[in-house]
Amino acid sequence: MGATAEDAAIRASARSSMKGRERANMAMFLGPAFLVVGFFFVVPVFVDIAISFTDLGRELRITEITTKNYERAFVSDRQLPAVIWRTLWYVGATLLIFNTTFGLLLALATTSISRTSGTFFRAVWLLPRMSPSVVYAILWVWSVHGGDTSLVNQVLMHLAGTEEPIDLRQTSPMWVIIFANGFIGASFAMIILTSAIRSIPGHLYHAARCDGAGSLARVWHITLPQLRWPLTYIFIWQTLSLLTSFEYILLITGGGPFRATTVYAIFIFQRAFGSSGQYAYGAALAFFLIVPGVILALLLWRISNMRRLLQRPRIEVQ
Amino acid sequence: MATIEFRRIQKQFGDVTVIPDMSLKIDDGEFVSLLGPSGCGKSTTLFMLAGIYLPSGGDLLFDGARVNEVEARDRNVGIVFQSYALYPHMTVFKNIAFPLKFKKVPDAEVSRRVHDAAELVRVAELLERRPEQLSGGQQQRVALARALVKDPTLLLLDEPLSNLDASLRLVMRTEIKALQERLKVTTVLVTHDQVEATTMADRIVCMSDGKIEQIGTPDDLYRRPASRFVAAFVGSPPINLLDGYAADGRLIVNDHPLALEGEPATGEVILGIRPEHLQFMATGGLECRIDQIEPMGRETLYVADSPLGNIRVLESGAGARHAPGENLRIGFHPEHVLLFERGRETLITGARASVRQG
Amino acid sequence: MSGTGIDAGRTEAQRHWDELAFRARRSRRAKDASLFTFLIAVSIPVIVPYFWLLTLAFSAGMEGVDTKVLWPSILILVPAVVATWVWATLARSRRHAMTGWGIIWLVTIVLYAVIVGPHLHLYNFRFLYIPEFNTAYREIVAAEDNPEFSLTSFPSVWSAFWNSLFIAGTATLIVVTISSLAGYYISRFQYRFRASSLATMLILHAFPTTVLLIPIFIVMWQIGLLDTLTGVMLVIVGIEMPFAVFIMKGFFDAVPWEIEMSALTDGATRRQAFVRVVLPQVSNGMIAVAVFVFIRGWEEFIFVLTLLSSNVRWTMSLYTFFVTEETNLGVDYGIVSAVGLFYIIPSFLLYTIAQKYLLQMTVGGLKG
Repeated sequence: MGATAEDAAIRASARSSMKGRERANMAMFLGPAFLVVGFFFVVPVFVDIAISFTDLGRELRITEITTKNYERAFVSDRQLPAVIWRTLWYVGATLLIFNTTFGLLLALATTSISRTSGTFFRAVWLLPRMSPSVVYAILWVWSVHGGDTSLVNQVLMHLAGTEEPIDLRQTSPMWVIIFANGFIGASFAMIILTSAIRSIPGHLYHAARCDGAGSLARVWHITLPQLRWPLTYIFIWQTLSLLTSFEYILLITGGGPFRATTVYAIFIFQRAFGSSGQYAYGAALAFFLIVPGVILALLLWRISNMRRLLQRPRIEVQ
Repeated sequence: MATIEFRRIQKQFGDVTVIPDMSLKIDDGEFVSLLGPSGCGKSTTLFMLAGIYLPSGGDLLFDGARVNEVEARDRNVGIVFQSYALYPHMTVFKNIAFPLKFKKVPDAEVSRRVHDAAELVRVAELLERRPEQLSGGQQQRVALARALVKDPTLLLLDEPLSNLDASLRLVMRTEIKALQERLKVTTVLVTHDQVEATTMADRIVCMSDGKIEQIGTPDDLYRRPASRFVAAFVGSPPINLLDGYAADGRLIVNDHPLALEGEPATGEVILGIRPEHLQFMATGGLECRIDQIEPMGRETLYVADSPLGNIRVLESGAGARHAPGENLRIGFHPEHVLLFERGRETLITGARASVRQG
Repeated sequence: MSGTGIDAGRTEAQRHWDELAFRARRSRRAKDASLFTFLIAVSIPVIVPYFWLLTLAFSAGMEGVDTKVLWPSILILVPAVVATWVWATLARSRRHAMTGWGIIWLVTIVLYAVIVGPHLHLYNFRFLYIPEFNTAYREIVAAEDNPEFSLTSFPSVWSAFWNSLFIAGTATLIVVTISSLAGYYISRFQYRFRASSLATMLILHAFPTTVLLIPIFIVMWQIGLLDTLTGVMLVIVGIEMPFAVFIMKGFFDAVPWEIEMSALTDGATRRQAFVRVVLPQVSNGMIAVAVFVFIRGWEEFIFVLTLLSSNVRWTMSLYTFFVTEETNLGVDYGIVSAVGLFYIIPSFLLYTIAQKYLLQMTVGGLKG
């Protein structure tokens, strides 16, 4: 009897010390990461929602709780429809031309030539991604500005025989930012698709060649079907980043001329941090980006294979 | 159907020479196996046949016509890979039908031919499945069907059995052999497994370091290996190879003299004798002591310490009849002895050694 | 009779095969040619601006944008590169190739030194030792009497350099430490919220942080970290954390369980096993995450622009940005190029040195 009671006590204390260690481990290993993530993701989302119902302005003082920011967004802001339309056009065009199609072409082309040459061309296309945004933007401005010394004008005037210098930032500002962002977006698809193509077993291609498939048929029947998931992933990821990032636009055109490149993200930035300093209105506008942000991020999570990512731990002790 | 000929074929990858100079002729309808350890150039040879690699020099002839630079797609070869290389996103039907897609075969005929091919390798009930839903053996059969559906002039098998488990390998070995005999298609099998090569092929091409060591029937390779390499590679358990010195009608191995008959060989030689050709006997022969016993089922392998050095002796019949430490005598028939020239490592024909009597 | 018949048949077959071989050769060549044409054509617009930046940094003066050096340089270097390339395919042996390349590049260097050499100088890099490098403009602007042109007061470039280094370096240290801990726990422990904590990281690593610019600005202001380097550094830690945790988790997944099991059998606790046995196995992952976070911190612009204001706290990105603003009128591209080059080189170096590690990062559990 006494022995069993002792056993039970030992077992109970072992269990409780195990539980205690479990809690301590969780706090030690997982705690800091979740603290940081909570502070920089969760808290800001609520802060954003909270200040979107105030009149927080340049003086950083709240005088009233109000819904007028949302009224303004839905009713009175005349610029907003144009901004949204412009955003869709910018995101759609960049995504379809560069971030998927052109990136895919680069990946296919650089994996079809010798390894050294392929690496060389991929390195060239990584230059924009490797450069700090400020420097990359400077290069774009120097290339397309309206003076006769810009690269575009040098080429046009000396090689193509154009008489007058052209200013692409004035005549086709949208295309300038689509190209500037596309050059970077294309390299993202290029990297991911290159490694996806590399991971397709070489024997499949050998088999296809013996089965009578030419190079284009091999791309169509073997490569592309294997790239379905990476392409979906790239598509969603890049939609999200194009919707929300604006630093190249800010640096190259500043949203101009005459708001021609003012897409939604930069519109928010200008409202909040521009001369007007309307933080509350900016927060309300940002809320409408948080929503698609969350939805697309959820979608991305849905297509990733959670079961494969979570293999059952094989050690049970804490 | 086709005859194949390699005429002084060479293959280099950059600075690395994989095949220095290779000549080989394969008859119409023949089943030939390329046998050798990994890295010996046998797969490279197969890929040159398929048109995946281009020869760096020499001529590759199909029915006497040079095809060196003809694309794989135009050669009409069927190929089965070690990994089967089934297209993962296509059903079994689409996999088998894939080669017909590029031959502009009408739909009704595609369906008929796919069903025939599937019937042939007994996967007809799996046509709607995807490769990941098939077992290894089934994938192997589908890969065979895909290779055969286009009536290939040449069937290439690249280590087709090495991913299967032992019992299935046995079944597939017999099936592939039977299929080949029925279809009479010229077939080249690449393998590193001597049992696979000897059981399936009419002729074996034994390769090492990109060079052909010997071409011959399985029996030739076993009985009269042309080189030390072939002797060591073919046969299991492996042959005993002992360094010796031949002079004046005598062969000295490990200070022990043996009688040398026939054409006298001189100089440094290697004596080869297969474990199954050594017998324990009561009198005569050489004295030896059993060191180690390895039961192998219906045979028993002994490692014995003899005046010639450590040698392996294979005795048929289950159950060991001798114990370690036991002193015995062993002998062999002079006919079974192989002598190789050291250095060139080639067989010395006509010379025989026997245990010196008395 | 029959003999000639067979011969005729043979040649017929040979002609057929030759035709196929010819077609194969032609299509191989056409394929290579079109691939290279495509890649070269699309790569030129990417390469030329960078090359221009390079030549400007070493050649431009104050007289404005300058392509005097760019085009001659291209005219000399492009044929040299093409020749190197062609020679690589023609050379019969390694030594043969080396000799050829030696000659090609000797000629190139001599030509370059003679034609372009006299234009090259290091004057544009004076910002490295003269903080008030923009005095020259002040004089020009004053001379032109341009009241609208306000001059920024520049700190030393080294102040910006150390600020950037502090932000990137500290953020890297913190992120690597925290993400290793969390990645290990998610990868290796069974607990109630395991699936949801991984899902949280996965979802957040895709969530775009620039959307939260305004609330983060407000929070930083509330806790008094606005216009401090620590504030910006913490924001970068926060932004990069989910991605880093996810990547580290992937690296921990790849460590064989047996290693940890044998450590436990040898008497270590789970924590000891983590530090002594498992962590050394994921050093590649830690390097990858470190390089990634460092580069992000080094290059960050938007958050730095919004959260920092005093010029003593400028980072390299703000410094470069304001140097560009300063010369917006097109007065001196040389100095902008020099600053840009100075800023870009650490990034390029890190990418180049660490690319082997960066490539090991699997992005977002890609395979479906």
